[in-house]
Amino acid sequence: MAGPVAALINEFSKLPTVGPKTAARLVFYLLNRPRHEAQSLAEAILRVKDRVRFCSVCHCLTESDPCDLCTDPDRDAATICVVAEAKDVYAIERTGAFKGRYHVLGGLISPMDGIGPAQLHVKELVERIGQQSPHELIIATNPNAEGEATALYLSRLLQPLGTKVTRLAYGLPIGGDLDYADEVTLAKALEGRTTL
Amino acid sequence: MLLERVALSNFRNYAELDLELAPGLNVFVGANAQGKSNLLEAIAMLGTGKSFRTNHDADTIRTGFELAVVRGEATVRAGGVALACAIAKNGRGTRKTYTLNGRDVRYANFLGKLRVVTFVPSDLQLASGAPGVRRAFLNAALAQDEPRYYRELARYRKTVAQKNALLRGTVAPNPELLEVYDRTLVESGTQLMLARDRFVRALAEAARDAHARFTVGAETLEVAYDPDVAFEAPTSDAVAAAFDARLRDVVESERARKSSVAGPHRDNLRLTLDGTSLGAYGSQGQQRTAVLALKVAEYSVMRERAAEAPLLLLDDVLSELDGERAAAFLRSVGDYEQAFVTATHVPSDLRGDARLYRIDGASVRAQAVA
Repeated sequence: MAGPVAALINEFSKLPTVGPKTAARLVFYLLNRPRHEAQSLAEAILRVKDRVRFCSVCHCLTESDPCDLCTDPDRDAATICVVAEAKDVYAIERTGAFKGRYHVLGGLISPMDGIGPAQLHVKELVERIGQQSPHELIIATNPNAEGEATALYLSRLLQPLGTKVTRLAYGLPIGGDLDYADEVTLAKALEGRTTL
Repeated sequence: MLLERVALSNFRNYAELDLELAPGLNVFVGANAQGKSNLLEAIAMLGTGKSFRTNHDADTIRTGFELAVVRGEATVRAGGVALACAIAKNGRGTRKTYTLNGRDVRYANFLGKLRVVTFVPSDLQLASGAPGVRRAFLNAALAQDEPRYYRELARYRKTVAQKNALLRGTVAPNPELLEVYDRTLVESGTQLMLARDRFVRALAEAARDAHARFTVGAETLEVAYDPDVAFEAPTSDAVAAAFDARLRDVVESERARKSSVAGPHRDNLRLTLDGTSLGAYGSQGQQRTAVLALKVAEYSVMRERAAEAPLLLLDDVLSELDGERAAAFLRSVGDYEQAFVTATHVPSDLRGDARLYRIDGASVRAQAVA
């Protein structure tokens, strides 16, 4: 295999979820496309690296610091939604149902992977709460072991600060079929039922 | 429940196999290393999603191939189910995927749709082996029995691993985080202990009865749950309080030993014969009879709890037992709905409804009982 082709396959296969076969497909696809397409891809990648930074307030991705979400006067500063990753901010933003501010932890607590509270933006969260004293903190970590541990740890840590700490509800997916829901999700949905 | 068909593709020594199975007793007969146990292993995987012979899944893929698939069609109380388990080579390891009725599902949703009780020669370790062998036995039975059990077990194990990492110092010491892990351990550990307690109570009674039948009442087998954390009563509150108190007691020693020292990951199942430890003092024959009784008990408890008979899988066990014990065993589970047995020779006194399969070099041929 020619040098440049092998090199690009090698680069692509370093990406998450991309194996050598997919990498080869991507390379041959690009080889068949016009030069400007390849150029705009390469430039977009570099732009991301050069321009995108982390917001010094919420630690979300941004081009300006503080970010648009933190400076938007229409957003409620009294409610802070705590998420693990910047991508979770985009997920919640897509709902259009949340008009507060965010705080990105930069991961979840997992000592097995060498990640403790000190490796995350936990200290910054505590400081932020001290300065801004929000009414409510919504913890929106994943409902898995690490997400749960992180949520529990935060609620413990933040209790003395007097801020109301809530957690996203567990339940059934909308449009889903009761029949297909796994037993634990269904049991959690029963526990978290609401009055009509 | 009834497994009506099993189909294999590049599984162990089978290239392709599509086999119809009969209700009642199915006997796989053949010389050694022809594929009898491989077929049984495949059937068990449809129930447990795991091999009963190896933890190294790559071993189940036929040499020189990338993907092994086991498919099955069964009728259970809830209706027909189609199950498939695929093992694919993935880098240096393997990746397993599960499908239920044509949909990809997670392991937790695949597990236990087809319930199996397996009895293999290594099960004799249940009497003589370390407590871990008996915990694995409890976990395997309960995970099939209660979907919630498997999840709590997975959550518990993950939490122990995280707590151990914290104790080992992979991140800065943090007493609050340690308390968070302990709280989760108490929550899920309590569920595990209660489930084990309930299961072993039922198991103990059935095992004592089966054992009495085997030995004509000469000896009494006692099976008891021996939890690492003793509790007053089998209620959530009592168990959680006992576990919580114990974890507080061991905080210092856990810090010194850099490891979780208390909890259901250190439970045991105690087997005694007329009051003496079977593992320490039982003869080979006594141990064998006790394990037999335990397996019969597992079968009957699982049947009772699910209100449906699980599949019974016996790998080369009849040859391990003398004729009398083998006959007694088959009689004692005489009301099974469907059983799969491997043997090097056609067993004598087969039931009339038994179906015989000759296995020779990965080819399987059904044969009438002579």
